[in-house]
Amino acid sequence: MPENRSYNDELNFLDKIDANTWRIKKGFVPNMKVDGFFYVNDLLEKLMFDELRQHSRAAGFGGFLPAMKQIANVAALPGIVKKSVGLPDVHAGYGFAIGNLAAFDMSNPEAVVSPGGVGFDINCGVRLLRTNLDERDVQPVKDELAQAMFDHIPVGVGSKGVIPMGARDLEEALEMGVDWSLREGYAWAEDKEHCEEYGRMLNADQSAVGSKAKKRGLPQLGTLGAGNHYAEIQVVDEIFDDYASRRMGIDHKGQVVVMIHSGSRGFGHQVATDALVAMEKAMKRDKVLTNDRQLACARISSPEGQEYLKGMACAANFAWVNRSSMTFLSRQAFAKVFNTTPDDLDMQLIYDVSHNIAKMEEHMVDGKQTTLLVHRKGSTRAFPPHHPLIPVDYQLSGQPVLIGGTMGTCSYVLTGTEKGMEQTFGTTCHGAGRAWSRAKSRRNLDYQEVLDRLAEMGISIRVASPKLVMEEAPESYKNVTDVVNTCHAVGISKKAIKLRPIAVIKG
Amino acid sequence: MLKSSDSAVFDSIFKASQCLEASKGLRHTTGLDVEQREPEYSTHKPYSEDKSRLKMEEEEAEYDPEWEGGDYVCKYEYLDHTADVQLHSWGEDLKEAFEQCAVGMFGYMTEIETVEPLDTHEIEAEGDDMESLLYQFLDEWLFAFSAEPFFIARDVKIVEFDRENFKIKSVGYGETFDLSKHPQGTEVKAITYSAMQIHEEVETNDVYVVLDI
Repeated sequence: MPENRSYNDELNFLDKIDANTWRIKKGFVPNMKVDGFFYVNDLLEKLMFDELRQHSRAAGFGGFLPAMKQIANVAALPGIVKKSVGLPDVHAGYGFAIGNLAAFDMSNPEAVVSPGGVGFDINCGVRLLRTNLDERDVQPVKDELAQAMFDHIPVGVGSKGVIPMGARDLEEALEMGVDWSLREGYAWAEDKEHCEEYGRMLNADQSAVGSKAKKRGLPQLGTLGAGNHYAEIQVVDEIFDDYASRRMGIDHKGQVVVMIHSGSRGFGHQVATDALVAMEKAMKRDKVLTNDRQLACARISSPEGQEYLKGMACAANFAWVNRSSMTFLSRQAFAKVFNTTPDDLDMQLIYDVSHNIAKMEEHMVDGKQTTLLVHRKGSTRAFPPHHPLIPVDYQLSGQPVLIGGTMGTCSYVLTGTEKGMEQTFGTTCHGAGRAWSRAKSRRNLDYQEVLDRLAEMGISIRVASPKLVMEEAPESYKNVTDVVNTCHAVGISKKAIKLRPIAVIKG
Repeated sequence: MLKSSDSAVFDSIFKASQCLEASKGLRHTTGLDVEQREPEYSTHKPYSEDKSRLKMEEEEAEYDPEWEGGDYVCKYEYLDHTADVQLHSWGEDLKEAFEQCAVGMFGYMTEIETVEPLDTHEIEAEGDDMESLLYQFLDEWLFAFSAEPFFIARDVKIVEFDRENFKIKSVGYGETFDLSKHPQGTEVKAITYSAMQIHEEVETNDVYVVLDI
């Protein structure tokens, strides 16, 4: 590997195609099978190139690979189709960059599946509930409501779920996903319709999952977690697409909604950890070569690959049950504060998206329908109108895509487009993406200042851990508006609604 | 396509009517009875009036270094990484560096001074090389925290360190994680091989591990 290439030499491999699109040409790293692409605006572009410059200066010592190198290393994996894509919120991650998308041809025996292409938090995702309340109804009881949510939903390190569960229940939940929640009465029948995959991956097989993962998962089912996960009460700030938002039951500015961002907790982390260990061995056996040890992967057809896909499906189901359980708790919290029922508050699920997952999908490749294994890590599926896999309610508007901001910043609802289907296998961004390291945030920010600023903005906040206040402050992230506008400008998704938080509950 | 062997599918269809009843019931309840929880920090409560915080400081004052397990050394630090945290530990020998690494991980999950060595927990780890041994060693401790017995250690000792077969036996001194006693830090999702470095050749035996958080 040409370790000591200078920054200017690196630039020879980069090519600006249009205002928002860059191409990473073959040769940027060895063995690239396809080109890499990434989407940015001027501000995000600067962040990307700064990262690369820093890496060139360090000349391979210490530090970590910049996102551009990671996108290119993914383009060198066997069986990759067309391109490796970095969405506007891309930043350095484990193996794959976070905000990285890559599709592998299922019919190619060399093609691989990579746990690093999904991430440790399998089926981390966002869901949005609507209410028929207006900001005026909520303002007087905002603190009470935030406290009620905090009381109902277990958050932070070491918290345990409140939904009664035994080992047997867990095994059923792993294979049934939202159907389990429905059976037990925690979800509504309509919820299922408004989840990706209808809240259940059918290839889940709990016998493919080790006992460690199950033991970690059991106490954590129905907990929010820590880090960037949150539950927020938000209000509609701006409507860009009147038709699409009406389809979602959003009809005026000031309407109150609830956003929940969480994943498969310790269960998914352990499934990913176990798979990485198994794949390291399989790679040696099958002589799969990668540029980076972190890109542990296995051929899709190999026992390790199959085992991972089954385990990943279990973790995905776990995450849906987890989010359903917290939906149930949020509905109960609202019902309690307003002394009415969740049904009368019209607390319907608008949609539930996954932004850390690999899925088998049909796509057109060079005019031919092909079955692909699409890895979306920190990126969200965004299918266009008329796609058979999106619910009836959204057939004409396109799939809703939920983009969470960070503590105190706005969030967005987008819809999928035909152009996204052609350019990015129906995929768009997932959130803001970190700009600062956690340590840097803690050094440079004072938590009281952060809290004061949030209070000034009229945001009620409940946080379990002090460190998180700084780590998750808006300053630590890329600007979500830049990210969403870039996706809109490129045309891979369309803006529908802008949301602004009024209460935040975090680990 | 439904397969007749997929009993779970039939099960869910069969129970559809029952579950609709159940969900109807919960749709029309007006909230659950839950306990009030004190958030560590919130916007409507200034720091100085935060009782949970004060309670913790009192506990710190009562901290007695004469606990069994003796003086605690701190030979670890947290370094910069965009999305995650890089843990750097060192020691007189590799054994100590590994031990410190595990303590450093626990230190990220709570304020470790609040943990008392009331109980012990043992783990065993096995690897193919030093890197995978360190990985498994930390993963076992993370597991001890994340599932039964929810153990958090104040100090970790390696009692057997087999360098030839890459095996470790280790004992932790600590207690069961208790939300009313231990402030919540950041959750560690997983150990990673990312930029993992073990420098046995230097006197300080430096170890670097990136934790996914």
